[in-house]
Amino acid sequence: MLAFIIRRVGQSILVLLIVGLVAFSMFRFIGDPIDNMLGQERTMEDVERLRAQLGLDQPFPVQYFRFLEGAVQGNFGVSYRQGRPVAEIILERAPATLELALVSGIFAVVLGIALGVFTAIRRQGIGANVIMAASLIGVSLPTFLIGILLIYLFSVELGWLPSFGRGQTVMIGENWSTGFLTESGLKALILPAITLGLYQMTLIMRLVRSEMLEVLRQDYIRFARARGLKDRAVYFRHALKNTMVPVVTVIGLQIGSIIAFAIITETVFQWPGVGLLFINAIQFVDIPVMAAYLMLISVMFVGINLIVDILYVFIDPRLRVDRAGAH
Amino acid sequence: MAELRVETVERAVEKGNWQRFRESDFFYSFKRSPVAIVSFAVVCILVLSAVFAPLIAPTNPFDPASLNLMNGFTPPMEPNAFTGESFFMGTDDQGRDVFSTILYGMRISLFVGAAAVLFAMTLGIVLGLVSGYFGGWTETIIMRIADVQLTFPSILVAMLIFGIAKGFTPVEYRDQMAIWVLILAIGLSDWVQFARVVRGATLVEKRKEYVAAARLIGRSPWAIMVKHILPNALSPVLVIATISLALAIIAEATLSFLGVGAPPTQPSLGTLIRIGQGFLFSGEWWILFFPACTLLALALSVNLLGDWLRDALNPRLR
Amino acid sequence: MLRTTTALLATALMAGTASAEEFRWAGQTDPQTMDPHAVSSAPVLGFLNNVYDGLVRMSKDMTLEPSLATSWEPIGAGEGWRFTLREGVTFHDGATFDADDVLFSYERASDETADVRSWFSPVTEVRVVDDFTVEFYTNAPNPLFPASIANWMMMDRGWAEANNATRPDKEAGNYATLNVNGTGAFMLADRQPGLTTTLVPNENWWDTAEHNITTATFTPIQNPATAVAALLSGDVDFVEPVPIQDAARLEATDGVNVIRGIETRTIMLGFSHEADTLKYGASAGAPNPFRDVRVREAVAKAINVDAILQTIWRGSAEPASQLVTPALSGYSATNAARPDYDPEAARALLAEAGYADGFGFGLMCPNDRYPNDEAVCQAITAMLAQVGIEAELNAMPVSNYWPELRADNFDMYLLGWSPGGSLDHEHPLRFLASTPNEEKRLGSWNFGGYSNARLDELLPMILAEIDPAARQAMLDEVTAIYQGEHAYVPLYVQPLVWGTRDNIELTQRPDNFFILRWVTVN
Repeated sequence: MLAFIIRRVGQSILVLLIVGLVAFSMFRFIGDPIDNMLGQERTMEDVERLRAQLGLDQPFPVQYFRFLEGAVQGNFGVSYRQGRPVAEIILERAPATLELALVSGIFAVVLGIALGVFTAIRRQGIGANVIMAASLIGVSLPTFLIGILLIYLFSVELGWLPSFGRGQTVMIGENWSTGFLTESGLKALILPAITLGLYQMTLIMRLVRSEMLEVLRQDYIRFARARGLKDRAVYFRHALKNTMVPVVTVIGLQIGSIIAFAIITETVFQWPGVGLLFINAIQFVDIPVMAAYLMLISVMFVGINLIVDILYVFIDPRLRVDRAGAH
Repeated sequence: MAELRVETVERAVEKGNWQRFRESDFFYSFKRSPVAIVSFAVVCILVLSAVFAPLIAPTNPFDPASLNLMNGFTPPMEPNAFTGESFFMGTDDQGRDVFSTILYGMRISLFVGAAAVLFAMTLGIVLGLVSGYFGGWTETIIMRIADVQLTFPSILVAMLIFGIAKGFTPVEYRDQMAIWVLILAIGLSDWVQFARVVRGATLVEKRKEYVAAARLIGRSPWAIMVKHILPNALSPVLVIATISLALAIIAEATLSFLGVGAPPTQPSLGTLIRIGQGFLFSGEWWILFFPACTLLALALSVNLLGDWLRDALNPRLR
Repeated sequence: MLRTTTALLATALMAGTASAEEFRWAGQTDPQTMDPHAVSSAPVLGFLNNVYDGLVRMSKDMTLEPSLATSWEPIGAGEGWRFTLREGVTFHDGATFDADDVLFSYERASDETADVRSWFSPVTEVRVVDDFTVEFYTNAPNPLFPASIANWMMMDRGWAEANNATRPDKEAGNYATLNVNGTGAFMLADRQPGLTTTLVPNENWWDTAEHNITTATFTPIQNPATAVAALLSGDVDFVEPVPIQDAARLEATDGVNVIRGIETRTIMLGFSHEADTLKYGASAGAPNPFRDVRVREAVAKAINVDAILQTIWRGSAEPASQLVTPALSGYSATNAARPDYDPEAARALLAEAGYADGFGFGLMCPNDRYPNDEAVCQAITAMLAQVGIEAELNAMPVSNYWPELRADNFDMYLLGWSPGGSLDHEHPLRFLASTPNEEKRLGSWNFGGYSNARLDELLPMILAEIDPAARQAMLDEVTAIYQGEHAYVPLYVQPLVWGTRDNIELTQRPDNFFILRWVTVN
């Protein structure tokens, strides 16, 4: 057991190193930060001097090693664009992204399960079929276009909701700025959360529907019905409960997508989170910010993976042989 | 005389196949589903018009010498104020006929989507078969990469690959390379699902007796995998491929929005939408509207088809 | 443990609850630093003009006017300039402004870590005469010196020393990167880089305030469509720039105004003058046709600038004949004509140069540097194809673009130039037309390596000439030279399009600096 955990941790660290290497080698091709940092009156001498100062004249392995050295100590360097420690900037931006991800996640899960159950119960009904078809429209358009169309409709034409930003935010403690406590903050969340959560909502809805249909066919449900249990009790206490295992697994896997698609949603809505920070960093070739973002994301995902794997082993001893051995 | 007979026999066999298909559950279910018929028809029309774009399109938008900038921003079905020319779906900012641009753009989108799915499918099937059949370290490595990639956002994977590939490509080939890089990027971010399904099927099949028998008579592992194991996994692979096609087309559009898509001189549907969204507020709605509708029609009908396919191929749901 | 900071209150203004004197504006770029000497870019200098003052400043019509200096005069026969400082000026923290702060700001801004130090390359010595008199000595007579330091901002020595910010630090940042202590009309109330920046009026400002703002909040919005939506929905009071295609829609909307002007930036095509062979396209490796002046002239004649302005720019940009716009000093009125659009003549010139069958080459273009840059390049590609030369368009983000140009990886390229500093014709001549010379800091943006001996000879004379008529005569001669050789093909002058809510009055300055002290909220 311990050997298994140690091996998995070792594998995870290897994965992180590789992701770091890949990410870092990408930066060499994204562009040159020097031109963004110097004005039009710069001379070639200035260019060379700044390059040396930033260590960009060093061979690639040296740069990579330096980056790792800092990253291990939690030091991601200083942003080229803002001239501030990257860790500080990311901490400042994280609440915006996490709140957005949370709200869109809740939106996706609650609405997804509700509509999934509905479409499964009323399998042949018109309403269910309309919902099924309409839900596909949402996943047949790119996220950015949905966002822009929502802004056009609800902000520009109807004027109901703000077109960009987080609205008024309030500080909780020293580091957490929240939009949950003000009216404008809540209003500002609506459009981005829908844009971001639409895809996941559709996914969960369809998954719940098909799992429900599967479960409703099982013998014990028939028995439950035969015993005279009310429909509601059958659907929710027995059927829905049994669909939850695959749904929870999928939700776990979708956390990654939410964080990734936050990049696009944040760009469209000028949402001041880490995704927007990352896009700005790409445009400015702010290497320290890009590197830190990608490393954090990989740590997060590799961590989730590791925890899930270890949990599986604890929960289901049968998996031990299979996962620990072959896989 | 003999030749004729052979032909008749062949025809009979063909007819037999067709007959069998027509009498199959699969075709029955297709006939009974208006959604499937309509979406299949829409996909066919769109694919055919993309394939035959050079014959259908009134102009060639990829030929810069044929463009007249003064035709720019002509509304649909209205004559241009300067040149008097009129266009069915209007023109964009470069004076390109929107209808022709959509036809040519759809070619690129479909090509990128189909090639990316084909690539992901091939890669996924090979890796899935190998890891399922051989097991051991091969499996550990492959499935470890798959795990990480499944949690790592596909759009980020695509951006990473795009960034790296761009760096290895000399500038003079970048425009032509962009499309191949897109295929590589989208394909590489999408192979895991295929690999998982195929691996699962392989694990089940390889324990069965006929595989052991095939092994005993000395058939090579590859022959066993391809001829005996793979066919068992084809239905789910087909379903995943259909849905992946829609996803790949949309992923291409998203990458275009992030500035890593097809070049503007040879725009895909995604690039057209990116360009068109800049004119949403200015009243030139047709530059966005028609490409967006085409993309929606394409992705939606492919999705609906995939949906139907999943139900049709899953006997338990019928 | 809830705590609402001023910043967040300011963000609240975004929600549309603004009262009359609260002003919310959005721009495309966040100023990357609050340090006035660290970065010489328009977003930074433009923004900091609201909180810092220079010795001199530009008025609404771009003439020089007194600021922290009340007057200035040449020393002797052009040895330098003497500035008399304004008395009774205080910094935001209450410290008094005097000659020592000028000397300190000079030391700070001319340090090798300062991006603006090229402004001081002609300066040999700065002498403090008394508390309110400072002399600048130059290596040659320099009539443009006062104008060239209009964006040089004064910082307090005591404040900088106390906060360990005596030199700009672009790499790691320091106290001055995030904090401001100027003498300007506004004070920095809050700064959240990349999110919001809040300014409040300086009650002790030395000049009379024209504005009626009580709080001003700046938010960067990159996506132009989002910015337009924000203006339309009333989430902000002012946005710049407005994408040209949205101007008409905004004009037609109640409650929104569009302010149009002409910027100081000229957009042009540059050529590879030195390379032996073409690098891109179908004829890559073949001898470089752009070394032949007839080919360059053919390019100039093949491009229908009017069509570009009519469609892509919707009639709001002006064609350009030379490297500067008529609004700037040193503009050569005698050379105001630009080559006519004449595809027949272009074909004839190409045939004469031996390219009757045309050739293929590469056109380099940024896609995020200038408004509509990519669309203009696409249009140019089509126009050149119509006279038989096929450009392969390579459009890329600016962070890839400049490195490619610096590495000479181009046959033809698109460039925009706005003369910073002096706002004079001499500026682009020095950077774009002079033979590149690293030591003398000449021709540092002359990527194509254009070189003309007479032009190189005249340039230092232009810089030192005090008599305006003699100076203009030399500028006219130089303009005729580079026009005749088609060293560049000037295309058009970029328009300036700003959008405001109806109740806002403001002044648009051609250098695209948004000056908050000229804003009135009604």
